[in-house]
Amino acid sequence: MGRYILKRIGYMIVTFYVVVTLTFLSMKMLPGTPFKFANRLSPEQLNQLKHYYGLDQPVPVQYLQYMWNFIHGDLGGSFQYGMQPVTEFLMQRFPVSMQLGIESMIFGTILGILLGIISGIYRGRFLDWGMVTLTVVFISIPSFIFAAILQYFFSVQIRIFPVIGWSGPMTHVLPVISIGVGVMASIARFMRTEMVEVLNQDYIVTAQAKGLSTSAVIYKHAIRNAMIPIVTVIGPMTAAVVTGSLVIENIFAIPGIGSQFIDAIVTNDYPMIMGTTELYAALFIVTIFIVDILYGVIDPRIRVSGGKPS
Amino acid sequence: MDHLMKITDLNVVFHIFGADVHAVRGIDLELNKGETLAIVGESGSGKSVTSKSIMGLIPNPPGEITSGEILFEGKDLVQYSQKQMQKIRGKDISMIFQDPMTALNPTMKIGKQIMEGLIKHQGLSKHDAKERAIELLQLVGIPNPEKRVDEYPHQFSGGMRQRVVIAIALACNPKILIADEPTTALDVTIQAQILDLMRDLQEKTGTAIILITHDLGVVANLAKRVAVMYGGKIVETGTLDEIFYNPKHPYTWGLLSSMPKLHAKTDKLLAIPGTPPDLSHPPKGCPFAARCPYAMKVCIDHMPEYTELSKTQKAACWLLDERAPKVDPPSTIGVGGEA
Repeated sequence: MGRYILKRIGYMIVTFYVVVTLTFLSMKMLPGTPFKFANRLSPEQLNQLKHYYGLDQPVPVQYLQYMWNFIHGDLGGSFQYGMQPVTEFLMQRFPVSMQLGIESMIFGTILGILLGIISGIYRGRFLDWGMVTLTVVFISIPSFIFAAILQYFFSVQIRIFPVIGWSGPMTHVLPVISIGVGVMASIARFMRTEMVEVLNQDYIVTAQAKGLSTSAVIYKHAIRNAMIPIVTVIGPMTAAVVTGSLVIENIFAIPGIGSQFIDAIVTNDYPMIMGTTELYAALFIVTIFIVDILYGVIDPRIRVSGGKPS
Repeated sequence: MDHLMKITDLNVVFHIFGADVHAVRGIDLELNKGETLAIVGESGSGKSVTSKSIMGLIPNPPGEITSGEILFEGKDLVQYSQKQMQKIRGKDISMIFQDPMTALNPTMKIGKQIMEGLIKHQGLSKHDAKERAIELLQLVGIPNPEKRVDEYPHQFSGGMRQRVVIAIALACNPKILIADEPTTALDVTIQAQILDLMRDLQEKTGTAIILITHDLGVVANLAKRVAVMYGGKIVETGTLDEIFYNPKHPYTWGLLSSMPKLHAKTDKLLAIPGTPPDLSHPPKGCPFAARCPYAMKVCIDHMPEYTELSKTQKAACWLLDERAPKVDPPSTIGVGGEA
């Protein structure tokens, strides 16, 4: 197992290096400049600015410089905020997005798995039919529409939760639900399919033939096996939710990383764009790694083949 | 003599897509203590449905036992609720399945899979159950059981997994063991080992075995009595010798003829032409009439009664009626040196 993890970490570093390099190169290919009134500046002024931000160097030199700084934990300064370090912005804003994402995932995953299990057990019956309809509705409605509806009912009509903001548990409820229902619906559908499939497996009949009660068959034999594929979707979904919550962040005025990212792209704030992209990439890579490890914990077949001493 | 199990006029219907499929149509069977009864027939003849009915594992819906009784030690299992059946399954009656590759839970240690039944039915502690699981693994011939009890199914080969499945089935010393095609999914060499093991274990434990198969070689190896099923009905029953050496029903003749023979002159495989009847519209008369080379007018419209041929053998065929023309069984039956 240790050897397997080491190997995986090696791959992760390589992947991350490729992402950083590609991000850097794509920045160089972006049209326009970071300077707002570039067309009104004289060529001398423009050159002076480029020199100040180090953009006059040849690309390979810039690249090496960037990588050197990167290794030392310096992602450069934000062009739009007077060279204030990008890392400062990320450290300040990212935890908020992360918290929102994780809370939404926990909410959505737990409910989704429960609904999926129930739906799978009662497949073809009224309960299942209702559940399937509900999930289709929740998957189809975009989260921002759902957010607006929630705001209208729970903040305007029966003022339980604040309309916007991010300060204390009450402010978390609506944004978390807005993102979470989509997660819940996707996971419920997935879990239902898995449950139906697992319940048709021969080993379920074996378990019944042992005389186990229906609930023992479901708890001990069906759910664990149905969960295995779910773990694989939860990982990428977490990353997608954390990085994809920018619309919800905007609607609820949540000081997350999403709005920052959009600003950075609009203003060609290269270091900020790169920093955020790299953070997202790192998050994705780490999540997938964790999922693979978890996968091995749940599924003994993977555990053994991964840790086979060679 | 009191039978361990007596099935009378069992009817099982599956309600599928608006049609009623009559999978089992009024079968009678007896099983004595410690004996091996083989139920033989091709796919769709109703043999697996019969075994699932005994276990109470007919999925309902769509399946339904419409009439008949399954008396086990004098009690009718058809009337039992699922809760009551849970106390019978695995304890008094247990089952071995066809495909050992899929019959075990891939995410549970095999020891635990054996222990479940022991804990449920015999109230053993975890520790005792594990001891017993190790004993069982030893009994079914798995080497190094102390270590293997903590392994997962994927660490076992197909034959070894079938041994585990047998260990699970035998865990609580059942009175009846239903083996549904226990060797079909295995290599031929492994088949022989598993059959030897089953015969061995039966001698040790005295369990009665209901062997469901389409493989007459397996039957010859293990069974004392044979029931031949076709189209949801039992068309002939008898002792092993009677069925193999003195078969009376044309379907039994067909089955025996279609067994590949090692020393045959031709390399042609004999098959019974045609397909089994559509059981959503079961034929009025003999189910085999449409494929039977000896079929007469009466066969189409009237189901023949059983003719008692000996104390142990009976068959349902109009050829056995005294008014029917005398027909000799085909020469292709030849049972050579098996058994």
